[in-house]
Amino acid sequence: MIEIGRNFLDTVALDSGVWKSAPGKGRKTPKGRQVDDGPVAEVRALLGDREREQQFLIEYLHLIQDNFGCLSLPHMAALAEELRLSQTEVYEVATFYAHFDVVHEGEVSPPALTIRVCESLACELAGARALHLALKEGLNPGEVRVLRAPCMGRCDTAPVLEIGHNHIDHATKSKVDKAIADCDTHPHMTDYQNIDDYRANGGYVQLETLRSSGNWEVVQDLVNQSGLRGLGGAGFPSGKKWGFVRSAEGPRYLAVNGDEGEPGTFKDRYYLERTPHLFLEGMLIAAWAVGASKCFIYMRDEYPVVLEILRNEISRLENDGIVAPGYIDLRRGAGAYICGEESAMIESIEGKRGLPRHRPPYVAQVGIFNRPTLVHNIETLHWIARVCREGPEIISSVEKNGRVGLRSFSVSGRVANPGVHLLPSGSTITDIIEAAGGMAANHKFRAYQPGGPSSGILPANLSNVPLDFDTLQPHGSFIGSAAVVVLSDQDRVRDAALNMLKFFEDESCGQCTPCRTGCSKAVQLMQEDVWDQPLLGDLCDVMQDASICGLGQAAPNPIRLTMKHFQDEII
Amino acid sequence: MLDSTPLKTVTFSLNGRDVTVEDGMSIWEASKAEGELIPHLCHKPEPGYRSDGNCRACMVEIEGEKVLAASCIRSVQEGMVVHTDTDRAKKSRSLVVELLATDQPTEAHDASSHFLNMAKLNGVEHSRFPVKAASHVPLLDDSHVAMRVNLDACIHCNLCVRACREVQVNDVIGMSGRGQEAQIVFDMDDLMGDSSCVACGECVQACPTGALMPATVLDEKQVGDSADYDREVQSICPYCGVGCQLSYKIKDDKIKYVEGVNGPANENRLCVKGRFGFDYVHHSHRLTVPLIRREDAPAKGLNVDPSNPFTHFREASWDEALDFAANGFAEHRSIDGTRVAGFGSAKCSNEEAYLFQKLIRQGFGHNNVDHCTRLCHASSVAALMENVGSAAVTATFNEIENADVAIVIGANPTENHPVAATYFKQFAKRGGKLIVMDPRGQGLKRHAEHMLQFRPGADVSMLNAIMNVIVEEELYDRQYIDGFTENWEAMKAHLKEFPPEKMSEFCGVPVEVLRSVARDFATARSAMIFWGMGVSQHIHGTDNSRCLISLALMCGQVGRPGTGLHPLRGQNNVQGASDAGLIPMYLPDYQSVTDDGVRSAFNEIWKSDNILGEKGLTVTEIMDAVHDGDISSMYVLGENPAMSDPDVAHARDALAKLDHLVVQDIFLTETANYADVILPASAWAEKTGTVTNTNRQVQMGRPAIVSPGQAKEDWWITVELAKRLGLDWSYTHPREVFAEMKQSMKSFDNITWERLENENVVAYPSLSETDPGQPIVFSDGFPRADGRARFTPASIIAPAEVPDLDYPMVLTTGRQLEHWHTGSMTRRTLVLDAVEPQANASMHPRMMRKMGIAAGEMVTIETRRGSINIMARVDKAVADNMIFVPFAYVEASANILTNPVVDPYGKIPEFKFAACRVSKVIDVAAE
Repeated sequence: MIEIGRNFLDTVALDSGVWKSAPGKGRKTPKGRQVDDGPVAEVRALLGDREREQQFLIEYLHLIQDNFGCLSLPHMAALAEELRLSQTEVYEVATFYAHFDVVHEGEVSPPALTIRVCESLACELAGARALHLALKEGLNPGEVRVLRAPCMGRCDTAPVLEIGHNHIDHATKSKVDKAIADCDTHPHMTDYQNIDDYRANGGYVQLETLRSSGNWEVVQDLVNQSGLRGLGGAGFPSGKKWGFVRSAEGPRYLAVNGDEGEPGTFKDRYYLERTPHLFLEGMLIAAWAVGASKCFIYMRDEYPVVLEILRNEISRLENDGIVAPGYIDLRRGAGAYICGEESAMIESIEGKRGLPRHRPPYVAQVGIFNRPTLVHNIETLHWIARVCREGPEIISSVEKNGRVGLRSFSVSGRVANPGVHLLPSGSTITDIIEAAGGMAANHKFRAYQPGGPSSGILPANLSNVPLDFDTLQPHGSFIGSAAVVVLSDQDRVRDAALNMLKFFEDESCGQCTPCRTGCSKAVQLMQEDVWDQPLLGDLCDVMQDASICGLGQAAPNPIRLTMKHFQDEII
Repeated sequence: MLDSTPLKTVTFSLNGRDVTVEDGMSIWEASKAEGELIPHLCHKPEPGYRSDGNCRACMVEIEGEKVLAASCIRSVQEGMVVHTDTDRAKKSRSLVVELLATDQPTEAHDASSHFLNMAKLNGVEHSRFPVKAASHVPLLDDSHVAMRVNLDACIHCNLCVRACREVQVNDVIGMSGRGQEAQIVFDMDDLMGDSSCVACGECVQACPTGALMPATVLDEKQVGDSADYDREVQSICPYCGVGCQLSYKIKDDKIKYVEGVNGPANENRLCVKGRFGFDYVHHSHRLTVPLIRREDAPAKGLNVDPSNPFTHFREASWDEALDFAANGFAEHRSIDGTRVAGFGSAKCSNEEAYLFQKLIRQGFGHNNVDHCTRLCHASSVAALMENVGSAAVTATFNEIENADVAIVIGANPTENHPVAATYFKQFAKRGGKLIVMDPRGQGLKRHAEHMLQFRPGADVSMLNAIMNVIVEEELYDRQYIDGFTENWEAMKAHLKEFPPEKMSEFCGVPVEVLRSVARDFATARSAMIFWGMGVSQHIHGTDNSRCLISLALMCGQVGRPGTGLHPLRGQNNVQGASDAGLIPMYLPDYQSVTDDGVRSAFNEIWKSDNILGEKGLTVTEIMDAVHDGDISSMYVLGENPAMSDPDVAHARDALAKLDHLVVQDIFLTETANYADVILPASAWAEKTGTVTNTNRQVQMGRPAIVSPGQAKEDWWITVELAKRLGLDWSYTHPREVFAEMKQSMKSFDNITWERLENENVVAYPSLSETDPGQPIVFSDGFPRADGRARFTPASIIAPAEVPDLDYPMVLTTGRQLEHWHTGSMTRRTLVLDAVEPQANASMHPRMMRKMGIAAGEMVTIETRRGSINIMARVDKAVADNMIFVPFAYVEASANILTNPVVDPYGKIPEFKFAACRVSKVIDVAAE
């Protein structure tokens, strides 16, 4: 380099009119990170002839991470080049989702094995914290990484963890040791009803009949008669959506929200691991009803067994000629609760960060790729199939406490027999605890979460309210996904509320100020022995009034209800 | 007509009053129109900025809705009842600001930030909320020379992301992570200075908190005040032909920083040069006194240090210097007027260009006056004049907004017309089909539907093949051809010889690509063609342009919104200087010097009788005439032929040979090295005058600062010389010159000095005293005989110097984003020099590997003209067997290598193609 410099200086000395030179100072490459040939070749080999479109970005990030154990920046830069995206567009998506491990240049890759310990309420009640600590201290961090993780949808077997992609129920350190020793890190398939069995029992006959001679409005009437409402939590009358979507100009899409992330909820997984074809037939009936040109199933990455079942059975549907190849597009989430919000899910299906969209416009008009999109929850579609096959009465004939219909309650916490309990919609918490075998031994009923943390926590004395749509609003709560967690005299409600707000803080997408900053400040304020209630009240107001989506709007519910019913814990 | 459609309106209730507004208006806009400013942070009410509704600082209450609504992103609906002033709405708004204020740094980076103003508007003075942990506060990123990144003030409003991704479409800034951990990143969380950031500074202009600031506004403690300036002057960017309007913020008579202004061409946008390249005006090398060559000066050569000219020159008074200059001219004139020639400047004003050509024509009785258009678009001008009858663009580049297909050929706008490029990228982003044709894989490639990396010099074969497909598949517009063109049958017959199957091999573009480009272009509802120097700087430059003109004509893609021909003009005033007659064949407004009527009209206006009816010599011809001894004196104003001419050693020899060279400039340029007298001129930011951009928009430049020392405005100097040469000139202000120009220039009809002072810009043609000017011309015919444009067939001509065994590679030259032309300005600005400090030549990594050259090593490039040593940069965009050398660097002057052979029509040299050989510089000492 020095010699080169002298060469230049010679020139300058000879010709003082050469007034400027800067040997050795210039950039050797164009600006920014250069994409190397090696990673490009590796990414190309992985992608094969898959379409180079942004909508598959998350799928391809999974592909790279599954193959290389992490997402290195050179691989991400290569992927950006292949998809003709900017590097930052890839980076911001990869860093949004919890399941992607982005590794910068010079950083060490994560160890081959990762354990995710669920820290949501039911698991925390069951000792998740101690379990996490035991694993952290008892395992070699060079070999096994132990992370906290949000609800895995197995609250009935709390505490749970995922080692690799193997979920361990009622987890203990010794079970983990055994799994490691046995290399038992892959999903364990369940014994589910496959397509042959389903068809042998009359499955898809209804779909075929409708497709050949059905009238979609008749089916819509049936669904309306049943009283079926959206079971993702919003409770919108299911049949009503069809008309909106159907009336919009095509192409139209159907998207299935399988991002069952509301802590305490595991009913969708319950049905999918047992009777996936009821859901699939329901989906195809709805798709037929609205004339959808494609169905997207967005399935959370926390359900590897379900993903495997769906992959198998969708390919069987294609083989059996029930759907055209590619008609059902199964998309794998990547660890983001917010993608259970339908418009965030749509963003994620498009390969982007899961930021909820503003409404209006509604997704029924402007959804996936800005096309009209019908969005249904898994369980809703399960019931649509059953309504079509068995008649609307299977739902509408059930009546209790003046309420009509059925509800799949995911019950966990301090009860004797946690699990999914299909009960009349008019059931009260008393009925639910009874169905779950009563309280666990030595626990006295004190409070309950009626429908996920978004619904907050109610006191035991609100025991005669049917846990249905519309009945809990007067009490500052709602049934949501019917994820019931029962607390006892051994639990502090303020701890449960803090657990909930920490969850919202972790899972806030960060788009809007009230939710992003609000959740964070709430967590800080709730850790004080004595709560600053006027300030928390103001915070709850702005979060509820000014957040973009339901996450931020509902996140204050645990705070408000704690202040309303459990003053003794916070003053 | 769109205009006559009555606007749909909606009526809604705003705080109890019924208000009627245009349909689609947001509540925020409607309230503002009603006189109420709803506090806003993430919403930027400027062109190009989509409302994002994320900050929630503008919440209002809508009756019947459960939660509040962000007024910036919610459209007014008929019958909607909106309250902006309820306690609930006000509380929500101020709590949002209070939450954000919690974690702001104790001392604001920008004491006058928009955020602070909005906090005041909400009455928020402090926050009751706990601050976040210190470990979570982002640290300073001062890796970039132009900007400071202090994300501790970031409120996640996303404006910088929109600025970078949606407005400028540079795609560098992103929002990584999520929730409270979300953070603004450059590329993949790289330091700004290490990232692919091109420093357009749009993010800085958009940031409401001071998290992103121009470095010049902050002190070392990262504290500053964007409102701390003495005055603000609105003017025009001095660099490229886009003609961005900008605002100089001046403190203590120095430019403190620059912001974009909402001009028609740039809508507040700027590039790195416009925003950060202003400080050359304050550089210590500025010429501040007139200089006369010392008697004892060494022989003329490139041997003067611009920081100390007194080794070769002595200071003179203006009177002495002007007398010396004028007397010298007069002496040569006394032998023959043609012994004196002039190079005017495309960097000065219209008025100055006009005066310069008038001085040569009137003062010396000939037309040997030219300027750098000869080196840029002379061939495009020749082809346009020949076939369309007008040399200016038929549509503004902004018209791409209305196009659905656009071809960009031989132009690298992301570097050379960066703000125009933002519109091209936006076009592609919203689904427009962008077809890029360039031997180099340039910055638009990622956005292109088709990228045709054709073999250098093979333009005609490629374009003829595309047109062949259009003819063979009968995709042409019969009606348009019949109505508005001539010579179609000959064209059609000619194109038969160019089937894609045959041409593909020539141009290196697959047959199917040629066919699909032809179909896309021909079947477009509206399509545009943009071109640059890659088309014009060839010996077949005129033919290249003829092909482009024919392509547009046969598809009827001229004269409607979203259609047109647009050669992207290079210099800030190359359009205006050409319009003003700074070319040897034309008097102002392209009126031929050979036309008796034209000359007599000008003689009348000028009160002269000696305008010569013979075309003058062009730039390269003048240099040859100097060598031949026919020209012995020159007046060079703001041009730098000692750097910019092809085979520059030959040009420098010519300059050295002159008896009397007068150079008028702001710096002691390479050309001024050879001067006998140097006249110190004002920089653009120091003077008054109009300039005309590539869009035909005439814009008003205003002085922001005073000139250093005794430097004077160029028009004043030219007038003083004219007086001393015996001309009866009495101009005292550019407005008088402008008024005289109007007498002979129809293009200035309805454009007056007063209008430009008031409106800043009027485009020509302007059809009335209130018409801002027509963005599209030739909707009903062309300024040619019968109103018809012409098809001129073009045949394949090989480049003048094709690679051979001795010189096996292709050398191509051009510019880089940071450097303007010969570097005299940009290499004297802190930011631009810091980003691109060293002469560099780009080569493909494969080629470098083959030759054993590592990135950053020195190479020697040789051609039949000469050789240079230069640092090799590895760049995948450059084709194999090619080397790209920018011509801004005196220490490795690209034009030592270039081939001076010219296009027969435009007389433009073939800067884009020369045979060369490249070798690694051997480190002698180490052996």
